[in-house]
Amino acid sequence: MAMLARVAADFYWLGRCVERIEQTARLLEYQLARLADRPAEELAVGWRAIYRALGQAPPEGEEAEAFLIPDAYTLAGGLMEEGANPDAVLPCWRQARENARRVRAQLPLPAWTRLNQGYLWMREAGFAAAWAEEPTALARGVIDRMRLFAGVVDAAMPRDDAWRFLELGRFIERAQHQAARLGAWVEFAREEGGGAVLSWADLLHACGAYELYCRSRSMRVRRDDALDFLTRNPELPRSLRFSLQRIEELLAGVDPLGARYPLAPPHRMALRLTAAVEMEGAAAEAEEFFRATWSDARALHDLVMAAYVSRPLSGEAPA
Amino acid sequence: MREGAREPAAEAGGAFAGYEVEPRFYDNMFDERGAPRERFGALHAALSELGAEDLEQLQEGVHRRFLHEGITFTVLDAEEATERIIPIDCVPRLLTADEWAHLERGLKQRLAALNLFLRDIYHEGRCLKDKVVPLDLVLGCPQYRVEMRGLEVPRGVYVAVCGTDVVRTREGFAVLEDNLRVPSGVSYMLACRGAIKSALPRLYRAHRVREVADYAELLYSTLASLGRAERPNVAILTPGVYNAAYYEHAFLAGEMGVDIVEGSDLVMRDAALYARTTAGLRRIDVLYRRVDDDFLDPVTFRADSLLGAAGTFHAYRAGNLVLANAPGTGVADDKGLYAYVPRIIRYFLDEEPILANVETHLCREPEGLAYTLEHLEELVVKEVGGAGGYGMLVGPHASAAEREEYAARLRAEPANFISQPALDLSRAPCFVDGRIEPRHVDLRPFVLQGRDGQRVVPGGLCRVALRRGSLVVNSSQGGGCKDLWVLED
Repeated sequence: MAMLARVAADFYWLGRCVERIEQTARLLEYQLARLADRPAEELAVGWRAIYRALGQAPPEGEEAEAFLIPDAYTLAGGLMEEGANPDAVLPCWRQARENARRVRAQLPLPAWTRLNQGYLWMREAGFAAAWAEEPTALARGVIDRMRLFAGVVDAAMPRDDAWRFLELGRFIERAQHQAARLGAWVEFAREEGGGAVLSWADLLHACGAYELYCRSRSMRVRRDDALDFLTRNPELPRSLRFSLQRIEELLAGVDPLGARYPLAPPHRMALRLTAAVEMEGAAAEAEEFFRATWSDARALHDLVMAAYVSRPLSGEAPA
Repeated sequence: MREGAREPAAEAGGAFAGYEVEPRFYDNMFDERGAPRERFGALHAALSELGAEDLEQLQEGVHRRFLHEGITFTVLDAEEATERIIPIDCVPRLLTADEWAHLERGLKQRLAALNLFLRDIYHEGRCLKDKVVPLDLVLGCPQYRVEMRGLEVPRGVYVAVCGTDVVRTREGFAVLEDNLRVPSGVSYMLACRGAIKSALPRLYRAHRVREVADYAELLYSTLASLGRAERPNVAILTPGVYNAAYYEHAFLAGEMGVDIVEGSDLVMRDAALYARTTAGLRRIDVLYRRVDDDFLDPVTFRADSLLGAAGTFHAYRAGNLVLANAPGTGVADDKGLYAYVPRIIRYFLDEEPILANVETHLCREPEGLAYTLEHLEELVVKEVGGAGGYGMLVGPHASAAEREEYAARLRAEPANFISQPALDLSRAPCFVDGRIEPRHVDLRPFVLQGRDGQRVVPGGLCRVALRRGSLVVNSSQGGGCKDLWVLED
């Protein structure tokens, strides 16, 4: 049975928020782990790449100094708890919790409880105290709690439209983020003189792909191979192809074959994007490719909203 | 024992050390001599054996459960809406089977009479013509909805869900007020039961407590029985996530497996109400609305309402939608009308009221106003349309300046107030500040009225005034809740 449009939107945004929390925490974990042994210039490039991956322009001019001085505490704090930053972990978690609160009637109690417990933990932990203890521990704690939530959702939620919209939000966010992250890596690696500053192996690590890459390709990590792997590998949960295929499957579930003719616009867009990634890949014009993919993923979001949430009612006959 | 003397509970050992029984107040666990009442011995013995640390752990456990599950209410002030965890006390309150049977009969009688009263005032008005209730009290009540005149409500049920506030004094049970519009609190009853049952499993089993878990099923079947279709589409209308009772709305929707809708989800087509879904519009047959009349439909009621949906009342009048509770039921739970409920019961049912009313003085009447002004120090004064413990004066606890200020309000607008004696509310043992102490409690059982009759789950929301000496049990003002165990025979 079709679900309320507003509730579908809440599940969708819940999915986007929890994915965004994990992505930000992953970027932070990667960067904070490098604080111990990497030179300041390299760390500065890392911060700029992170901000770019999150869709936020790195500061220019005088502000750029902040990235040269390794003031990791301020930068990491901004990504953990800065209320005005839409990608920061704590505000994003607060938003996820609000979305979850609105859909409590459909969200299994264990899933709600894990999300709520995690939020309370994060709020109580406090960035300053966690930093004094161990900088990466807080980021790891966030990632663990997001995985726990995802696991409980996987175990407890029926595969209905509520689950589909939650997953749809998660994978659209992931596709968009992954395109931005790969684009940022390509851009900064080139600007700063190549892989010596931003390591392609680090990128694989940050995407949870290093082990699989070594097993299926080689221990020697090359730029084009790494990009191709992170773009087209169908088994890697954080590859672009994996995300897009999941999006296509989820949209097919929302509108089972034959339920809608012609195909809903977001479904058509997802099919087109999947085909582009499978057949075209990052290839030579990598930066342009990732920019276009990011832009298409964003358009896909708009199409989902238009098709399922804010569809016009004029002349609509009762279902 | 001399009046007013405090006695330590006769078996006040262990966790009960220092527990004082005041003869003025009925104590739910101890009799006047300070001995545990019959049937309460096992609970008393079990709690006595626990040390302060064990009880602390128990209390911490149930509180943590509420915290993690987000069992909250929302407090609204001028600035923002704050979400708070509802305080829960780990010591259950007990009621015997006989006590419950008496309450149940009284509650059903009261609701039956009030439903007949509502039908009458929106149709023939016999009770008004016969001067059982003053005409101007009914027609002048802001909750009287002229739009309901002559309207046949589905199955003749005006009030499908009722939450009646009951207190106990030395004289027995009495009704403090009827809540016939959008009574809330049932989710806390169920949450308390879940937490306490899992914290005290052996005690729970040993006491043979009657179950309340099927409330949602009973509520669904009650609502569905009011619809025309065999399997009507039921939905809950909530004002939204910032409403004080949002947790409850979401909880009930989840338990019943129905949609929880907001005004913006609804649209009227061909005199029927529909919800916007991802695949188009879906018709709603029964709307359990948790939105006040005023905000239900901006076309019929308050034009500035954003909480309801335009056309809701039109769909209702056209017979294409069931609203539970019906609009206009608030006239029967107005505090001014409360004083007349015993007469209403006698008039419509030809029976004596089973549950007593609390003595009430109507300030709209000159003698009532004079009495209230003269005895302000002894009385509790309430606004007739007030709720949630707001806007009332507790005379014995108020300062001279507060009483003076309130008296001025009374003189300016007497019809807006009633007064009642400050009741000697019963007390029950609660775990507070590391030990068990008596605190004042009340009780809100829930009665359901469907096509096939009335049903009452054996339990209710037991509210407790957690501040020492306080009589205010509202959660927004320092109150909490505890589990109520209704025992089998």
